[in-house]
Amino acid sequence: MSRIFHVAVREFLATVATKGFIIGVLVTPLMLLLLVIVMPRFINAPPPRVAGEVALIDPTGEVGTGLRDYLRPEKIAGRRQARLKQIEAATPEAVRQLTESSPQAQAATRQALEQAAGEAPDLSVLALDPSTSLEQAKAPLHEEEGKNRQGAGARLALAVIHPDAVTREKGKEKFGGYDLYVRGKLDDRIEDEIRAGLRESILVARVRASGLDRGLVEALTRVETKESVTVTSGGERKTNEVVNALLPGGLMLLLMMSVMTGGSSLLTTTVEEKSNRVVEVLLSAVSPAQLLVGKILGQMAVGFVVLALYAGLGIAALVSFAMMGLVDPMLLVFLLIFFLLAYFTMASLLGAIGAAVSEMREAQSLMTPVMLLMMVPWVLWMPISRSPDSMMAVVLSFLPPISNFAMLLRLSSTSPPPMWQAWLSVLIGAAGAYAALWFAAKVFRIGLLMYGKPPSLRTLVRWARMA
Amino acid sequence: MTSAIALRGVTKTFGQTVAVRDLDLVIPQGALYGLIGPNGAGKTTTIRMILSILFPDKGEMSVLGRRSALEAKDRIGYLPEERGLYRRMRVGAFLSYVARLKGAGGDDLGRRIRGWLERVGLADVERKRCEELSKGMQQKVQFVAALIHRPDLLILDEPFSGLDPVNQRLVRDLVLEEHRRGATVLLSTHVMAYAEQLCDHVVMIHEGAKVLDETIAEIHSRFDPRTLLFEPLQPGAGAEPLGSVPGVERVRKAREGWELALAEGADPGEVVRDVAAALPAARIELKRPTLEDVFVQLVSGGAGIAEDGGRLRASLQDGAGVEVRS
Repeated sequence: MSRIFHVAVREFLATVATKGFIIGVLVTPLMLLLLVIVMPRFINAPPPRVAGEVALIDPTGEVGTGLRDYLRPEKIAGRRQARLKQIEAATPEAVRQLTESSPQAQAATRQALEQAAGEAPDLSVLALDPSTSLEQAKAPLHEEEGKNRQGAGARLALAVIHPDAVTREKGKEKFGGYDLYVRGKLDDRIEDEIRAGLRESILVARVRASGLDRGLVEALTRVETKESVTVTSGGERKTNEVVNALLPGGLMLLLMMSVMTGGSSLLTTTVEEKSNRVVEVLLSAVSPAQLLVGKILGQMAVGFVVLALYAGLGIAALVSFAMMGLVDPMLLVFLLIFFLLAYFTMASLLGAIGAAVSEMREAQSLMTPVMLLMMVPWVLWMPISRSPDSMMAVVLSFLPPISNFAMLLRLSSTSPPPMWQAWLSVLIGAAGAYAALWFAAKVFRIGLLMYGKPPSLRTLVRWARMA
Repeated sequence: MTSAIALRGVTKTFGQTVAVRDLDLVIPQGALYGLIGPNGAGKTTTIRMILSILFPDKGEMSVLGRRSALEAKDRIGYLPEERGLYRRMRVGAFLSYVARLKGAGGDDLGRRIRGWLERVGLADVERKRCEELSKGMQQKVQFVAALIHRPDLLILDEPFSGLDPVNQRLVRDLVLEEHRRGATVLLSTHVMAYAEQLCDHVVMIHEGAKVLDETIAEIHSRFDPRTLLFEPLQPGAGAEPLGSVPGVERVRKAREGWELALAEGADPGEVVRDVAAALPAARIELKRPTLEDVFVQLVSGGAGIAEDGGRLRASLQDGAGVEVRS
């Protein structure tokens, strides 16, 4: 036992106490932080104030006033303010508390949001004579192209209202609309404003022409939406769709990352021991099985460090958003169980490959089937988490080594399987891990001292039968 | 005397190749044995079986009184032929790892490691990474790794390869020191001169089978000298008088003077006297057969120092530094 322990300790230290590991493990969260915190600061430089005219050909004569009113700078600014308020209202309680606690942070957030919204553009509406030809009206749009001409009088867009936009032609079910021509390089937010303004003023004109009350129509078509409430035996809680969608994926990503970190460094150190020819010295002190188990345990600790680090970050994030209630603690227990099972299976296979080849280069061809196996949960993540009770999901959750990933996905989905299925999957996963370990121990015994041509998968299977 | 290693009828095949064929081998405790034979004779396979790294297809064995070396691993020191170090590991950490694997941890481990490193002239490398050492220095670290836990049985596979003469002598002294301490030593080499100068007893293997298992003294008396080296006092003297001396069968030009092959049944003492009378001599010497001569003679069916032994001979010689005994 103590030999296995010494092997495991060396394996752990040799992997963790390297620059590569520390950088690799720490850089990913740092990159995420960078994306979340630093990047917006670079983007929020205010865009230049846009000014110009929107030409309008309106045979109905009903749209111009509404559009002009809609595009007034103070109206645009007002709408943007309202949108900011909506965003603020949608911000989780915890974040709001955080920002409100310091006026400095509050001001910074608001400023950032305002800047992101951009300064309100100065748009004037020029109603052209309805008899103006289209070509003539469009000409200013491409005149002096490339000079990015701005200021009053610069034509940014041309809207052509259809004659039947406000009142239907007789015998037709549909109303007419409008055509919009814009110059190149027009800020898409301005185009959106123009479209929204056209839509709004045509709507108002239609309602008025039909003799209806605009306010009434709006009230009639509006039904308040509220957050749904999840009812469980443990009480009621607000459902958070985002967390519900991200939880299975996040858990699987976590599982896969920790399994692959441990597994791939097991492969590397095994190949290194073999190509360094250190392995025969080791074999004079420990048996191949002891060496294998020691190495697997050492790398398991490595995988566990990764798992604990990222799971800890995730839990900390959930706690700070006061959403920890959404995660069943049992799920964390299952995460740990499936980590162990998936890790033992993958590490055994990768260790066997490491023992079979003499160089990292030769490992590639044998790695392909193992990597394909690892790809399956990735590909099936979405289908499984969307319909966790489908035949495919059920079958896959009893098929090691995919079962470990598939069952975790199902458990964290919105309709978790019955507990007996989860434990059966654990049992099958354990059997799979044991089989992989047995196979690896056999290959280890024969492969460690074999040099030369890398064996094929078939040869590996023959070794396992032989030993 | 109990035996440290005993093999009975051990056979090992790899696919079609028989690496070791029906080998019997008994090494008494405290002995210094040489396992010799050309490359590919089956030496390393034999050693790996003794260490239970490989398992024989047939036959029985006992190591240090146990059925398998697995039960006695802590008492065995092994220097493999294919030996390596963890490149990124520090020398001190590597040695303490190996010692712990051998169950020789303890509080004074650091002190013992420093003591050993000083002993092999590497006092200042403890904190260095293994990859920073020269090849010879790495060899010595590996040698220390085999000895650090004071084994009862020391198995060395080609311990001298890649060492300069000074370090060869150092390793030889350490081997003799371990032998004096009471450890059983089994040393394998394809350079027979090393074994001849160091071991009490040699076991010779050729194509997986044992061809000789005797003490050096027995070998010397059994394969009695059949060749005289004659160097004339006057360099230009002719060899004709020598050919007519009774008991001289053949005269052949050697680098300095001539080699005289003795006839079957001739008494070397009489021939030496008669040759000295026939021609004034600067040197007359009875040439003892080397292990190499013995080996070539054994495997080429007693054809003596014939030409077909040339290829075999080439495989038994190490380019330089054959002189081990000071």
